[in-house]
Amino acid sequence: MEAQSILERIKNIIGEADLVWVDDQPGDPYLVIPKEKLRRLAINMKGDPHLAFDTLMCLSGVHNMGEQDEMEVVYHLYSLRHRHQFILKVKLDRPAFFPHFYLRVDSVSGIWPAAAWMEREVYDMFGIHFVGHDDFRRLLLPPDWEGHPLQKDYQEPDAYRGIATTREEIEGVLAEESG
Amino acid sequence: MLLTTETMVLNMGPHHPSTHGVLRFILRTDGEVIHLCRPDIGYLHRGLEKIAEQLPYAHFMPYTDRLDYLAAMNCNLGYAITVEQAADIEVPPRAEYIRVLVAELNRIISHLISVGTFAMDIGAVTPFTHTIREREWVNDLFEELCGARLTYNYIRFGGVVFDLPEGFLDRLSHFLDYFEPRLEQYNRFISKNKIFKERLVGVAVISRQQALDYALVGPNLRASGIDWDLRRDEPYSVYGDLEFDVPIGTSEFGVMGDCYTRYWIRIWEMEQSVRILRQCIAKMPEGPYLNKSKRKLKVEPGEIYVRTEAPRGELGFYLISQGGIRPHRLKIRTGSFSAMSIVEELGSGLMVADLVALIASLDVVAPEVDR
Repeated sequence: MEAQSILERIKNIIGEADLVWVDDQPGDPYLVIPKEKLRRLAINMKGDPHLAFDTLMCLSGVHNMGEQDEMEVVYHLYSLRHRHQFILKVKLDRPAFFPHFYLRVDSVSGIWPAAAWMEREVYDMFGIHFVGHDDFRRLLLPPDWEGHPLQKDYQEPDAYRGIATTREEIEGVLAEESG
Repeated sequence: MLLTTETMVLNMGPHHPSTHGVLRFILRTDGEVIHLCRPDIGYLHRGLEKIAEQLPYAHFMPYTDRLDYLAAMNCNLGYAITVEQAADIEVPPRAEYIRVLVAELNRIISHLISVGTFAMDIGAVTPFTHTIREREWVNDLFEELCGARLTYNYIRFGGVVFDLPEGFLDRLSHFLDYFEPRLEQYNRFISKNKIFKERLVGVAVISRQQALDYALVGPNLRASGIDWDLRRDEPYSVYGDLEFDVPIGTSEFGVMGDCYTRYWIRIWEMEQSVRILRQCIAKMPEGPYLNKSKRKLKVEPGEIYVRTEAPRGELGFYLISQGGIRPHRLKIRTGSFSAMSIVEELGSGLMVADLVALIASLDVVAPEVDR
């Protein structure tokens, strides 16, 4: 199915309101949906025999700090049965106060099990919480790591458990040792 | 009398000979049987995606070598194609053929390591010495081509950095003439070996549905019987002009999707790579090998997701540009990552020794999992 006809089908499922279709950019077009509709749409996209998106190719987080401080979760879906693809996006506001209350989106790990680890990685790197995830922890970084490194305003700590992380710090320690 | 057993928590790794890099598994075992298997990854996390955001596009190329050091050419190629598509760079035909040539050569040596370490992991040490001998020859060829033996940094936006040296194609076909019969020999002493077969047939079966659910890619997906190869189904570079078959797992040897099928897929893929390489040698066009038109690279705002078929399956680069000389975001989706995520599900119920076979058969490379 072409992206346009997939879009029409999606409109039948979740209605036309609040959907933003972006097709004026060099890559493939994508659809921005409100986060409340994500779970319902995801279930239908996998279950509908005409859509049958059986694989989640890629799930990524993005942080934009332009005019507005916002985060995105991007779902690249592919259907091996029909050989078509579609890109979904969910945008989340990141206010200055209590951002973790706002950076929440429904988990799709029950629908595509591959999402389980991908969502954990996005949490690890961006601090986005996925609600309804079975085993929600950091994935790559140690559990007591502070901050989420792929946020654009991330400040790298000087040390982790007393181990220096910056070069100046290490050189300082070396200089002290030599004496 | 009622016998009671106790479960025990066993820590496997991070430094374990079978973990192909630094991986750790937390196992809850009852005797030899695993009740719960929890992979703990991240020991090789280098923050490649963060580094990419801070470097100009061309400067990130050497980092893609380190993404999967057993298949550096394929990672180079995937990244180069992504940026070329985003920035509209044309590639001359000779460069396209050279790229496919090095990518397939790299696929062969990556699968050689996979096959060799697979045998080694389950206790047969000798095959590894054989496969690494063949790999050495290819490493010499690559060294001649670009001066590096492991991390090549050979592919550039718009072509490749050096032309093929004189006589390279002759030496390559000499290698292929030597290598093709060797594959038959591997089959004689590893693949059809009775002990090897008994050890692997029916172990850790991944069903079609599980393979789809966990988004497995590449040889692991095909071993579960799904006919999907990006080189054939969404051809990039010059794969559309080349003839090759896509090997699919069968239940000929026992069960489809078990460790043994995954092993065979790699042997068959090496045969096909030899076929592609011979066609590349025959068809290699003359002409320029690098399009030097765009020296100062800027990418228009927009986003693009490009995937290529690396030895460990689909390698996807999701590039978002906001204009300028650096990417706004570069997400790297690798085959080993999804292969690793299925271990958690498949691991429970296996014997501890079979877990080793499972990891080896999935051909997981730790730096590609952690990035």
